[in-house]
Amino acid sequence: MSTVFSEEQRDCLQELINVAMGLASDKLARFLNTFVHLQVPAIELVNSAQIPAQFEARYSNTEAALVSQGFLGNDGLRGEAIVLYQLDNAHRIAALLGYDTDSASELEMLTDISSILTTTFLNGLADQIDNSLSYSAPRVLSSRQNNVSEALQETAFHWELALKVDISYQLVDHSFNCDMLLLIPGEAVLNIQKILERILEEY
Amino acid sequence: MALPVLICDDSLLARKQVRKSLPESFDADILTAGNGVEALAILRSQEIGLVFLDLTMPELDGIGVLEAIKQDGLDCFVIVISADIQPEMQKRVTELGALAFVHKPVNPEKLVVILKQYGLI
Amino acid sequence: MSEDWLTGPVLEQLNSGVLVVDEQLQLVYLNSFLQRHSSVQLSDVKGKSLFQVFTDVPEAWLRRKFASVLELQSPSFSSWEQRQYIIKLPHLRPVTSSSQYMAQNCTMLPLKDPAGRRYVCLLIEDATDAFVYQQHLQTTLQKLELSNRIDGLTQALNRRYWEEQLKLEVQRAQRYQQPLSLLLFDLDKFKQLNDQYGHLGGDCVLIELTARVRVLLRDTDWFGRYGGEEFGIVLTNTALAGALEVAERVCLAVNSTAVTFHDQSIATSVSIGVAQLDAVGDRAHEVLIGQADIALYNAKRDGRNRVVVFSAGETEFLLKAN
Repeated sequence: MSTVFSEEQRDCLQELINVAMGLASDKLARFLNTFVHLQVPAIELVNSAQIPAQFEARYSNTEAALVSQGFLGNDGLRGEAIVLYQLDNAHRIAALLGYDTDSASELEMLTDISSILTTTFLNGLADQIDNSLSYSAPRVLSSRQNNVSEALQETAFHWELALKVDISYQLVDHSFNCDMLLLIPGEAVLNIQKILERILEEY
Repeated sequence: MALPVLICDDSLLARKQVRKSLPESFDADILTAGNGVEALAILRSQEIGLVFLDLTMPELDGIGVLEAIKQDGLDCFVIVISADIQPEMQKRVTELGALAFVHKPVNPEKLVVILKQYGLI
Repeated sequence: MSEDWLTGPVLEQLNSGVLVVDEQLQLVYLNSFLQRHSSVQLSDVKGKSLFQVFTDVPEAWLRRKFASVLELQSPSFSSWEQRQYIIKLPHLRPVTSSSQYMAQNCTMLPLKDPAGRRYVCLLIEDATDAFVYQQHLQTTLQKLELSNRIDGLTQALNRRYWEEQLKLEVQRAQRYQQPLSLLLFDLDKFKQLNDQYGHLGGDCVLIELTARVRVLLRDTDWFGRYGGEEFGIVLTNTALAGALEVAERVCLAVNSTAVTFHDQSIATSVSIGVAQLDAVGDRAHEVLIGQADIALYNAKRDGRNRVVVFSAGETEFLLKAN
């Protein structure tokens, strides 16, 4: 990570992400009418090629969902957010969101959950840097039938850098863990660095 | 006389943001700490009038610092500055003796209102 | 802001639906696209509940979606692949498409007016073309799957698919303890026939033979072309006596009437080996094929145009012969 981002830039990004998580958790807590224990999301910048191997172990023995959603903002900020989570986890949060499994298809439930997680979080990030984002419709890359690491391999292939954000939502009586990957193409990484530099200059 | 102030946050950016949010009229000697353990070491070794305290930090988090301040009977005001902005959390820190709760990212105007409210400026 | 004049006309001419409701889900705006497609005038419905105007939308579902957009101030999505449409609308391919309603990709966006009041904007994109392509694709895949199972010449099942079915039926018979029998048969002296009448003549006989056999079978039987002139029939829920009966009928059906090819009559016959499943284990289907094959070999050795049932003991004979 240090090879691409300076220590100051990394610190800046981590703080922006912490605050974004706080904003997202607050919204989720109000929406779900519960308390969300906030944990500092661990961030890591990784080469996209390493991603499939990193997640294979965690998701290989369970039924996992992998949902992608593109985002696009001003100042050349763009990328693809990928949310990975385990399906049994998803059913708990789906119950909180008021889904009964009869009326909504599983695919719809999966895209709704990850879209809520992604957009609340990224909106919080965008607000802080005076940006605003638009999103593509979420798309399920793989759910129970497919192999998670294969799906990741196909996706990650096109992106140079990935910002890995480990997110854990601990609700009062449910825990929900997911991984969020922000896959960012090369020139957008430079644009993010410019944004970070601008913030650092302000202080 | 300048007020001895401690800014405690694990993020350098956040510490800078707090410092920059303070009004010019606020006469303070500012110290900084990067986590709760460092903060307590400073609080126990010297007189600090006001602490700007982050909640989510490594080593010892803000809640731990508040508990230690209460337990040791340390004489200082604490303003919590947190990314965790849920009402539950606000209630918790207020119960632990924090003077005020400020949302991240810090809004300078709101901070001034709070400082005025408690006669710190 | 000098481009303000653009917004109205573009919104009105947009080939997508735009609908705006307030926090009470009362209609605030519908663009022309939606007004035309749903035969509704904005002036008539403004201020009315969305659910009063569009009575067949999935209300509970949509309320939940809108609640999350308003509360979280973040967008929500719906794809035609999961829900074909939200509002029933006719589409613009009434002739060339088989679907009745417009397939829709929908986006629900949070909006705020200058006074800070909250609204939800529902964007409806026509995805009927994608829906139609998807249906074509599925039909094609089904055809492809069928052609993957069928022997092109005789329209019997091909060997790979037939063997798969044999394996499954053997497992099923073992699980439910039901009888299962196998017929393997060969067209007699096929090489001579080809030499005499040409390959077209040979093909014609194979086609005719298959047609004659098929009508003798039940829907639950699996009839496949095993090799060049070799065929197999899996008879489900059938013991040896029943299988023998079917085999005799097959033999007769082929031999009783000659095949006509280019005004020539070609007399043909088949030799049939019959075996009933008695082996257990994973390889039972292979054993069964081996047993029917031995019986078939004996039918040929005994003079062709006949049915021979496999009986234990013949294996020993074969082993000695080898």
